[in-house]
Amino acid sequence: MESSFVPQLVTSAILIVVMVHVILGGCAYAILAERKISAWIQDRVGPNRVGPKGLLQPIADGLKFFLKEDYTPRNVEKLLFTLAPAFAVIPALIAFAAIPWGGTLELSSLPFGLAEWLGVEDQTVQIVGANINVGVIYMLAVGAMGVYGIALGGWASNNKYTFLGGMRASAQMISYEIPMGVAILAVILLSGTLDLTTIVTTQRESGWFILQLPVAAVLYYICRLAECNRAPFDLAEAEQELVGGYHTEYSSMRFALFFLGEYAHMITGAALFAVLFLGGWSLNPLPFGPDLPTEGGLLLILLQVAVVLAKAGLIVCFDMVVRWSVPRFRFDQLMRLSWEGLIPISLVVLLATSIMVFMGWHQYTWVASLATIAIVYAISPILGRESNPNPRIPMIGSRFSPMSDHERPVAASEQLAFAESVGDDR
Amino acid sequence: MTASTPISLALALDVYLPVGIVVAMAILFAVFNLIATKLLGPSRSGQTKGITYESGMNPVGTARKRFNVRFYILAMTFLVFDVEIIFLYPWAVGYSQLTPRSPEATLFLGRIMFFLAASVVAYLYAWRKGVFRWE
Repeated sequence: MESSFVPQLVTSAILIVVMVHVILGGCAYAILAERKISAWIQDRVGPNRVGPKGLLQPIADGLKFFLKEDYTPRNVEKLLFTLAPAFAVIPALIAFAAIPWGGTLELSSLPFGLAEWLGVEDQTVQIVGANINVGVIYMLAVGAMGVYGIALGGWASNNKYTFLGGMRASAQMISYEIPMGVAILAVILLSGTLDLTTIVTTQRESGWFILQLPVAAVLYYICRLAECNRAPFDLAEAEQELVGGYHTEYSSMRFALFFLGEYAHMITGAALFAVLFLGGWSLNPLPFGPDLPTEGGLLLILLQVAVVLAKAGLIVCFDMVVRWSVPRFRFDQLMRLSWEGLIPISLVVLLATSIMVFMGWHQYTWVASLATIAIVYAISPILGRESNPNPRIPMIGSRFSPMSDHERPVAASEQLAFAESVGDDR
Repeated sequence: MTASTPISLALALDVYLPVGIVVAMAILFAVFNLIATKLLGPSRSGQTKGITYESGMNPVGTARKRFNVRFYILAMTFLVFDVEIIFLYPWAVGYSQLTPRSPEATLFLGRIMFFLAASVVAYLYAWRKGVFRWE
């Protein structure tokens, strides 16, 4: 029973065609979900006019994007301005190829005697787009390419807002790439492979890695948000300061391609998080107890694909809740969080995990994670904060006034205005 | 350590042909969208419409200017770390397959710790120099 060339290629091709559509449809509906979730968080209704409960809204949006004018302003770099949206969406769409969606299928279990008819009854195929044995490196390499579209689009627009957005996106991407890489390294130390399918099967035996490596999981999650330019890290498109950020000059489908890229990146990143830390298609987070059977037919495979997709969907929804709950960072805070916070912590995680692997205590790595938190808390006072990153400027009359409220001088006109505003005309 | 198995052409095709399919599909999707929106949408141009959008102000100068050198220094520091991480991936795979507490594992751990320490020194230097401060 070994994997063979032709059935695997056919499976991969089918899976890729299906998954491209699933991800593109997922992107469209993730945008609807984002609008709905933001509406619920802000106690609004959200889009509800197009179709039942607004479910056809993404289609209306897509059609409208196509029918809007695709305008190229005069001062832009024409070629790069046109190609930048493509550069943004292509890496996001090809990154998912290495994600294992459902394990190994034995072709002998296909219904209607299909395997006998095709003569492949003793073979197995992997339910994965491209069965790369260095899947982790592929995902990292392709995922990081998404910033080219943003940086090029920002530069080609020849606009100060877009330029700043592009610069910010690049600086942010390279800063959060490092802790992300090191956090994934901890997973590889525990599982001993770069093959994503094997990482999932390892987690079935050792328990989910989010329990073994909670600190690495949190690091990876934060870096994922930053790599997708999601709030609270959406400095590249900070509306209040940069209008639209890198896509200020874009319109119609070119504008939409940037968003498709962002959402496809989110979905792929969420699927990778599910595979690396949430046990892929495993349902039991603990190393013991019941789980899905390891062998089964096509139905089991479909169930496993559904489990991975459900986990990814939940993570995407959580991203949206985070977006509408946490305020945006300032740029110096963003840089300091990565370089003076996440990178040292990730190095400590790497050190602790490699020591645990050295001692052969793979199943007690969570102790190393607790030790990491203890070390970080012990060291952080020693490093010292020489200046307050959020200085309060004392100013008479402001809420940072050096005087307390009751001795604050109040102008007579201010009192009058207050009395008028509350309707006090006695 | 096991000897590396030679990669046959069929295996490489099996693995990397699907990547080619994905890349082709993604490129087709992107190009289709770019062309379709150009063809479907209306097209009007004007003197004022073509100028750079800067919140309604007349644009002052061009955006192709010098930018803050801190971006550049940051990129240099990133390169050091990223190259280091690329070396760490194969190390992690090899190291985790060794017998725990064997002399070979000690050697692996010691070497990589020296390697890490070398770049951590550079990192601390950059930190003290204020590369990561943006006030």
